[in-house]
Amino acid sequence: GLLFLFHSPPPPRESHLHCSEERGDREEELKTISKMSVIDILTRVDAICKKYDKYDVDKLNASNVSGDDAFARLYASIESDIDSAIQKAERACQEKNRAAAVALNAEIRRTKARLSEEIPKLQRLALKKVKGLSKEELAIRNDLVLALPDRIQSIPDGSTNGAKQTGSWTSASHMEIRFDSTSDLVNADGMFESEYFQQTEESSQFRQEYEMRKMKQDQGLDIISEGLDTLKNMAHDMNEELDRQVPLMDEIDSKVDKATSDLKNTNVRLKDTVNQLRSSRNFCIDIILLCIILGIAAYLYNVLKK
Amino acid sequence: MATPDPDKLMAKADKLTKLSFTRWTADWKNATSLYEQAAIGYRFRKDNEKAKEAFEKASKGQEMISSDCNLDKLDSPWDAAKHMESAAALAKELGHWNEVSDFYKRASELYRECGRAQPASDALAKGASALEDVVPDEAIQLYTDACVILEEDGREQMAFDLYRAATSVYVKLERYADAATFLLRWGIAADKCHAVNSQCKAYLSAIIIYLYMHDFQQAQKCYNDCSQIGAFLSSDQSRCASKLFSAYEEGDVEEIKRVAQSSPITHLDHVIIRLARKLPTGDLKELNKEEAKEEVLDENDLT
Repeated sequence: GLLFLFHSPPPPRESHLHCSEERGDREEELKTISKMSVIDILTRVDAICKKYDKYDVDKLNASNVSGDDAFARLYASIESDIDSAIQKAERACQEKNRAAAVALNAEIRRTKARLSEEIPKLQRLALKKVKGLSKEELAIRNDLVLALPDRIQSIPDGSTNGAKQTGSWTSASHMEIRFDSTSDLVNADGMFESEYFQQTEESSQFRQEYEMRKMKQDQGLDIISEGLDTLKNMAHDMNEELDRQVPLMDEIDSKVDKATSDLKNTNVRLKDTVNQLRSSRNFCIDIILLCIILGIAAYLYNVLKK
Repeated sequence: MATPDPDKLMAKADKLTKLSFTRWTADWKNATSLYEQAAIGYRFRKDNEKAKEAFEKASKGQEMISSDCNLDKLDSPWDAAKHMESAAALAKELGHWNEVSDFYKRASELYRECGRAQPASDALAKGASALEDVVPDEAIQLYTDACVILEEDGREQMAFDLYRAATSVYVKLERYADAATFLLRWGIAADKCHAVNSQCKAYLSAIIIYLYMHDFQQAQKCYNDCSQIGAFLSSDQSRCASKLFSAYEEGDVEEIKRVAQSSPITHLDHVIIRLARKLPTGDLKELNKEEAKEEVLDENDLT
């Protein structure tokens, strides 16, 4: 190793001045790799990566975020949205709670729709010429934009079965608004749409129970309504009957009033008469006369006895 | 007097009332009381014939009293009427049907003299119910008269039972058109006393009777006429009627039967319910053919 090092130094130093920087660097690096330790190798690799960074489009875009390039900004935001959507999709796959999974899928779908809407805008921006951008980079941008729709659609949102089957003809409708029907679990014919849901045993059982209970409730309500009809009819009849009896009661009322007043009159007169009859004067007269009669009778009895 | 022989009482009373040389004026007061007692005695003995006669005579006596003595005028027609009614009841038991109707009519007149409309119509109603099975036409006449008496007095509400009874007699006689007309009269009476429920029920019953007669046109006309009345138009009964009509037009027998079982019809009179259960009578297709024929004629008239 040391012999190499001794032999190599003089010629590279000379060519360093004449050749292009890159070539010189490369030669230098190749020759110096043999002399290096691990730490040196690492440092070297970092330096090389930094040099070739300008060919790394991603990093280039990231460094340009704060720049005036609208295309780059929009592209960056779309990329971040796609990444977050993919993360959500992964979470949804692992989610045990079906309701939460449904909600996540719905969000993903909405995000996809939004992103799909932004793609035309992005495409227009891509075709614009921006200063400091070479022709190659323009072509690259166009390709990136074209690749985006597929990337967006490929984000799993729980409808992968349908997407696979209908991939061919729905590609045209990807730009259209897709209604989110997960909130509407019940269709008119009571069937789950297999596009959006896979029926588990649990859910079909639940559905059956729901139907049974609904039927029973309907039956109960029918019975109640019949009973209420009967009650209503009876109440109406009672109402009419009472209306019929109101004048009768008034008649009874007046007749009874008359009878009571008659009675009162009669009572008063009777009382007067009785009082008259019972007056003390009459009593005294009665007693005196009685005594006189008894006296006469006794006298006669005495006379006769003799 | 404990229980003297009614015959003796009768004889005595007759003697009192018979005019002869010794007697210039008949002593109706005493005679009447004797007649009453005799009648009660006879009734006790279940001698209906004699009792009836006695009651008759007693009633006549009461009338005579009223015509002689003005003071008793207020009470006597009443007593007379009461005796008449008793006589009529006995006649019913005896089976002298024409006497029954005569007596009850007389009693009703006497009640009217007293100025009491309710007992008058009650008397006629009793007569009618007695005669329902035997002489239905007479019974219907009596019912109608009773209704008229009450309506004149302004007490239509009391007449509802009479209307119901008369309708059932009509239906029994299978005079359905008359029954329907009577029901419409019932509707008028109900309208006067603001008995909306009864009114709507009466109209629905009339419509059902027309349908039972298989007279769809008449039923439709009836329904249209009744719909002019606001109270009927917004009632359950009119909804039921319209359901019935639509079922008829569609020719759907099941639907007709279902509507007949529905609640507004079950609240009607039982006679009507029986008719409704028997719907539809006749062939429904005939109805549609008739309607089509009518339509063709109309078109011709227009052109």
